[in-house]
Amino acid sequence: MSRVGRPAGARTGTAVAAVVLLAVLVGYPLLRLALVAADEWPGVRPAGLGEALRNTVVLAGAVTLAAVPVGVALALVLRRPDLPGRALWQAAVLLPLLVPDFVLGYSWTQAYARAGFTDTLLGVHWAGLLGPAGVWLVLVVNAAPLAYLVVAVALAARAEPDLERAARISGAGAATTAVTVTVRLALPAVAAAGVLVFVLTLGSFAIPQVLGAPAGFRTVTTQIYADLSLGGDPTSFVRAVTLAVVLVLVTAACTAPADVLLAPRLRSQRPADARPAAALPARPAVLRGQTLALGGYAGLTAGLPLAALLLASITRAVGVPPTPGNWALDHFRTVLTPRTAEALGRSLALALVAATLLVLLGGLVAVAERRRAGRTAATLTTLTLVLPGSTLAVGLLLAYGRWLSGTLTLILLAYLAKLWAVAHRPIAGALDRFPPDELRAARVSGAGALTAVRTVALPPLAPALLGAWLLCFLTALHEVTMSSLLYGPGSETLAVVVLNSQELGRIGPTAALSVVLTVLVALPAGLLWWASRRWSAPAREVPAGVG
Amino acid sequence: MSAEPAVEVTDLVVHHGTTAALRGVSLQVLPGEVLALLGPSGSGKSTLLHAVAGFLEPTSGVVRLGGRTVSGAGRPVPPERRDLAVVFQNYALWPHLTALDTVAYPARRRGESRAQARAEGRALLGRLHVAHLADRRPAELSGGEQQRVGLARALARRPAVYLFDEPTAHLDTHVRGVFLEELASRRRESGAAAVYATHDAEEALGLADRVALLDAGRLVQVGTPEQVYAQPVDAFAARLTGPASVIDAPDGSGELLVRLGWARLGGPLEGKVRGSWFRGPHTDHLVDTPLGELLIRESGGACRPVGERIRWTLLHGWSLPGHDGRG
Amino acid sequence: MLAACGEPTTDAGTAAQDLTLYTCLSDETVQPVIAAFEDSAPGASVDLFRAPTGELNARVAADVRSGGLRADVFWGCDPLTVQDLVDQGLVGGWTPPEADAIPAQFRTADYVGAHLLYMVAVHRTDVPAPATWADLPAAGRTVAVPDPSVAASALGALGWFAADPGYGLDFYQRLADAGAVQVRTPDEVTTGVAQGLYDLGMTTANSAYAAVDDGSPVAVAWPQPGAVAVYGPVALATASADSAVAQDFISFAVGPEGQQTIGASGSYPTRPGVTGPSVPAGAPVVHPDWTSIAADRDAVLGGYQRVFGG
Repeated sequence: MSRVGRPAGARTGTAVAAVVLLAVLVGYPLLRLALVAADEWPGVRPAGLGEALRNTVVLAGAVTLAAVPVGVALALVLRRPDLPGRALWQAAVLLPLLVPDFVLGYSWTQAYARAGFTDTLLGVHWAGLLGPAGVWLVLVVNAAPLAYLVVAVALAARAEPDLERAARISGAGAATTAVTVTVRLALPAVAAAGVLVFVLTLGSFAIPQVLGAPAGFRTVTTQIYADLSLGGDPTSFVRAVTLAVVLVLVTAACTAPADVLLAPRLRSQRPADARPAAALPARPAVLRGQTLALGGYAGLTAGLPLAALLLASITRAVGVPPTPGNWALDHFRTVLTPRTAEALGRSLALALVAATLLVLLGGLVAVAERRRAGRTAATLTTLTLVLPGSTLAVGLLLAYGRWLSGTLTLILLAYLAKLWAVAHRPIAGALDRFPPDELRAARVSGAGALTAVRTVALPPLAPALLGAWLLCFLTALHEVTMSSLLYGPGSETLAVVVLNSQELGRIGPTAALSVVLTVLVALPAGLLWWASRRWSAPAREVPAGVG
Repeated sequence: MSAEPAVEVTDLVVHHGTTAALRGVSLQVLPGEVLALLGPSGSGKSTLLHAVAGFLEPTSGVVRLGGRTVSGAGRPVPPERRDLAVVFQNYALWPHLTALDTVAYPARRRGESRAQARAEGRALLGRLHVAHLADRRPAELSGGEQQRVGLARALARRPAVYLFDEPTAHLDTHVRGVFLEELASRRRESGAAAVYATHDAEEALGLADRVALLDAGRLVQVGTPEQVYAQPVDAFAARLTGPASVIDAPDGSGELLVRLGWARLGGPLEGKVRGSWFRGPHTDHLVDTPLGELLIRESGGACRPVGERIRWTLLHGWSLPGHDGRG
Repeated sequence: MLAACGEPTTDAGTAAQDLTLYTCLSDETVQPVIAAFEDSAPGASVDLFRAPTGELNARVAADVRSGGLRADVFWGCDPLTVQDLVDQGLVGGWTPPEADAIPAQFRTADYVGAHLLYMVAVHRTDVPAPATWADLPAAGRTVAVPDPSVAASALGALGWFAADPGYGLDFYQRLADAGAVQVRTPDEVTTGVAQGLYDLGMTTANSAYAAVDDGSPVAVAWPQPGAVAVYGPVALATASADSAVAQDFISFAVGPEGQQTIGASGSYPTRPGVTGPSVPAGAPVVHPDWTSIAADRDAVLGGYQRVFGG
């Protein structure tokens, strides 16, 4: 397949660096966990393991099957520059990513469950929300933006307008073209999105916990949580670790074939003339329909639940009507103290550093992945993604706690290990069909290896890198499970400070925290988005082959 | 045969952002005609084709195909419902489809069965002598092979109008033969036409029934190849259509276009060799004359040393209309 | 650069005046106690690691496998967790003389209860208060109970009900038959009831009163035969057995001043006579037998899970 035009030594160097970093961040902590499971295994199969495993895998499959098509459809629709209010919709569909899962679960019950918005206003509520169907739907809504992001950046990074034009002029309508050409060409990215969604769902905890538990719906992660919570009993700890290792094995069994068998087949090289260009003009009626559908989707999946969240943050207590008479800023006062300001600075710095390093790491593996050994590395990165935060944190403590316990460095390592795949998959999806000749051409034009990447590879990959960065930054910013296990004096993150001040489960302050983080993130994110649009605007305005 | 022009654009204006790519172009392509769009890169050739194909919406102006308005009044007709085929610059072959599936694609979209579409595709590939490549994907095809598959896909569409968007390589003799033959047979039944965008004068003149010269989004001249070659409207048009020397008219009446072959060595006029290139059947000499620099082609011949004094005769010249500042 | 921002937690007993405290108590309670202790013992400094029980257990388990428990003092939220640590030889073997003032059901030779949780009933104000626990399963009302395989307080309640001849596992069977819903934690019970998802439920008094104080449309009931008391023991790490400052901290926490601070912060103190948050006059309280719960844990949980299918 395609090889980046660099000397064999440098390529080997990249692969070696990736493998070493993987060993440090992923391999060794996983090994320590596996050793605990192997050495201390009490020899009893955990009760309900089969059911929990089945629930987990079926759930992840069902979520992937629904979330990826939704994400692809969103990416196709939002790609249109002539879509009215496009920037607004692009932001709106990403909103669920800004909210910690645990609050998202609550905001859905507040919107659609008994005594929620729809029940109060229309007398309609959805009993199934607290159960497998609800878990599935909310996870789909939560994962769709992720799939959208991965597919959208890939489409932006290698738009090949002539290939779509060729289909249209051959008689294919817009929808047929999307299916037979656009999506087919974006398959590596679609597959990347699928793997990412699948693995994230395998490892998802808060939503199955909040919405699934009332119906007795157990997954491996909620089982792990239960085992960790129940007493300092060493056997339950080992059981939790064992479950986590089982989850990792399941993930490896599911994603490794996808990576090793599927990826090379999906790969195809981008022709040299690929360049971003405006999509074909659409009929106003179609645009209106798409806008309407988008509005409905965004309203139901993000608007209403997030309105519930916003109201929860300013309503003085859970259960009182969210009317102005009951509004108060107490929750914000809880969140915005001098202590939290300090922690906020720390969290922002941590998220910035983590996201930046993660983009570098993601790129590293994406480049190394073009070699056979690198593909194994790519699979490895997904394994930490699936680990519940608590178990990964335990693995890191086992591996490095002796020296790094309680330091920000250990938290940073945890973020890097956990989110590596989140950064890697979108970048790999975009890099996949980057034509090696373009880099070779830069090299023979006198550019060094780094200059070649910077001047030739980076501009077309910029949307993917930005998307990956944003994703990592957001996730790191409101991460709570790992940092609440790893922090020490002077390394409390924002989420730790806010959640420690109350018992976990207090909705108001957590909602206020989400609102504060959303505002804090929306501002730079908006700026970044604006900058990226400015950046790519000149290329977009001069369509293919004016001449 | 239809009485309407196969393609008719009227006052076509296209803006890309703030820059104007087409500044009011009006043009007709008659049924059965091959029109070459000749212009330097950036002159608006692709933009014009894209507007005709429906890949972009013109800022203003009208596009009509076979008398039917497809852009400019009411809802624009989408590309798939314009009776067109396009051969793209780099052929735009889908990387995931084999040559056969690529060529069968248009027939499939017409609703033909898979087997029938493939049979037709196989026949087309055969006509272009690439039937043996049916199962290959674009990455496994040479440039020339890609061109043939790209053309086969266009032929499979059986359109009223073919658009060639500056194919990167010249159509080779066989491909050109198949294409012109196809055009001729389609002309009898439905009046198929073609628009061929290129920046290569030789190809445009050799292929087209008429040539349209395009510069900076405006039409400079439209005419038969002979007209645009022998009677260009200005120096720009002259240089665009082939090797051209522009000298002062000996009678002082203005500028004179002298093509290769319009002057010969020996005769009353004087000059000095500035450069000399042996090209096999003939030799080209760049000559400094009192009237200006002139390229003279000598049949046979050999290189002459720079500075050699020679004499020459002006056989024919075309008086260029007043200088319009285009240079 | 980052490493410089945080410093590693000090190993047990490296500095005589420093101690590391692991706890699951919320900052609201533990921070005032630490502040009061540091005021009373000049020079002493407490490094705090606070986390929910699950994360706390994970941290301890990871510590043990990477160089040993880093805490000098462990302040748990239920006796089962702390007893497990005692059984592993990580904590225990010492209680302060002040422990004698704490009722005997709240201490052992290895640890002493410093605060209490009460499992009570929380109900929406438009639903009548349950007079006894047996009133909980009622037709037409949705009841929420916390998961005893997640929350030790719920396990304590399960242990008490299972052992009581008047209730037994039948109580949970009746709850399940009446359509009761099992959620994970007591806090989720409170939130769900406040939100209107459920009509009433079993939760901790702290969480229920916090919702009442916020103004949520809920009320707290202490049903007969009594709220189930779960005490939070504080214990000395065996590796820090000779740390004077760690011993001082434990003495302070169960001593009069520490207990008053706990009571003022909104948690229930264990020391008799110290003012804590409101307990209705004559509110009945029952005490589970932790030793037998620990012994029967798997059997009781197994019986429960057959009922609730978890």
